[in-house]
Amino acid sequence: MHDFIRSCGWTRTARRHEGASGVNAVEVRNLSRSFDGRDILSDVSFTVGHGEIFGYLGPNGAGKTTTIRILLGLLAPGAGDVRVLGRDLAADDDARARVGVLFENNGLSDRMSAVDNLTYYAGLYGVDDPAERIDDLLALVGLADRQNDPVGTFSTGMKRRLGIVRAILHRPDIVFFDEPSSGLDPGAQRMVRDLILELSRREEMTVFLNSHHLDEVQRICTSVAILAGGRIRAFDSVAHLTGASDRPVVTIALADRNDSARASETIARLPFVAGCETDGNSLHCTLADPGAAPDLIAALVGAGYRIEEVRRSSRSLEEIYLEYVGRTEGTP
Amino acid sequence: MSTFRIIAGREMKLALRNRSVIITALIFAVWFPVMSGVGIASGAGGDAAVIAGGIAAIVLPVGVFMGYLFCADAFLREKRDGTIETLLCTPVSLRHLWEGKVAGVTVPAYLTTLLSAAVTITAVSTLAGVPVAVGPLLIAHLAIVVPVWIAAAAGLIGAAQLALGMRENQILGFVFIFGFIFIIIGLQGIAPGGAGISPATEGILAAAGAALLVLARFIAGKVTRERIVLTIP
Repeated sequence: MHDFIRSCGWTRTARRHEGASGVNAVEVRNLSRSFDGRDILSDVSFTVGHGEIFGYLGPNGAGKTTTIRILLGLLAPGAGDVRVLGRDLAADDDARARVGVLFENNGLSDRMSAVDNLTYYAGLYGVDDPAERIDDLLALVGLADRQNDPVGTFSTGMKRRLGIVRAILHRPDIVFFDEPSSGLDPGAQRMVRDLILELSRREEMTVFLNSHHLDEVQRICTSVAILAGGRIRAFDSVAHLTGASDRPVVTIALADRNDSARASETIARLPFVAGCETDGNSLHCTLADPGAAPDLIAALVGAGYRIEEVRRSSRSLEEIYLEYVGRTEGTP
Repeated sequence: MSTFRIIAGREMKLALRNRSVIITALIFAVWFPVMSGVGIASGAGGDAAVIAGGIAAIVLPVGVFMGYLFCADAFLREKRDGTIETLLCTPVSLRHLWEGKVAGVTVPAYLTTLLSAAVTITAVSTLAGVPVAVGPLLIAHLAIVVPVWIAAAAGLIGAAQLALGMRENQILGFVFIFGFIFIIIGLQGIAPGGAGISPATEGILAAAGAALLVLARFIAGKVTRERIVLTIP
């Protein structure tokens, strides 16, 4: 299923979201990077279309932050090629003006006021009419009344909201969020999530979200890549991965485990089935036609297979994530 | 406003808001000149050129130390807090970032050094019992040599703080200070004119300071974003 998802997800996502210029917001091709002889990233490839909210998932040490740093031009790729908005950010100072970033530390000085911090970054990015922009965004995130207070007096959640404002202050075309909900209580996590969603719509930005919060990713992201052991294990739209797409996954449990392989071959020949994987006595069938489930069942019954159970799969992103990450961790 | 002025202005603002650094700088600006004023007054024997030379010799290391002190806030803190990573993602080149920060460190360090010079002159005048004549050479020393050396010290130390890990920085901080002081003493020793202030001494010090500043700029140009990011704690 992994290979299937990768192959069909790749072209679908890339074609659907390419910008007017035909260039994706993010393009990563065969990226590898090692530190001290240890491979951190191995042959990583994915694309992010313009306007997408892309979730980049993986366990600690999987190489997510390394990927983001390479994309932002902070680290050099060991091999492969990366482009953000069609440019190499390491070599192009001007291109960085179209990119926003929020790391875990928010990039703010505790000793300066909120408005002084934002004015500083507005100056570095050359924001037109910064006072009006700052007032507008501070009001949006509910910090207008604290704008002259030192950031050191803010709570973690307030700092994160201010950090988000700082990241999008210059109206970037794409924003990288590195663990935006990290260290926040559930209420603040939800506020940050809603804020990212609202701002991405309002400002028409592409969002690259590096997160451990799978629920958060499932709620707001349009596509995801799962990174484990330095490799991309899955890359597709969230809807497709979770089975809530126009290519639903139907799981059929056969009464006889020994029939699985033959049944899979039978199914593979059906025109309305895009792919099939076996797992014990279960067949996970991806339908090319969403309304073809009755035809699939009829075909199996007609071929003499005894069916024990049929269900339309709709899995949470967490289940899918654990499946891929667990599969990797279980592999020596 | 240019990014240079924006970065320098921010560093100056931050320096003024850092109470611990300001208090340390003020204590050093007052304590060190008063203590060294005793030595200058007793050793000069009323010779105005020797007194001016003594003052010049004291003020320069004070300036270098002030540069080091304010550097810790502008470069090291930025790295320790990780905020440097965000700055490296802005459309500002690393060299411009370094230049702005060096300027932002040099101005407050220079102002506290001028305060220290004023205290030194007052202390020596009081202890020697004769007013110190602030001649053109001493003025040139304070107006040209001192700021150039402060900028050179801030530039070199700042570049090192960006390039090195936190542990190396802790160890190498004082190495830099003593290295600078050793160079100053060495240059004063080889310059003609003995202990007094002379055009030759000032010329050599100004040229050496400018050379160190150029060296600092060269070294800063060799520091990469990758090097900085990989040494963030």
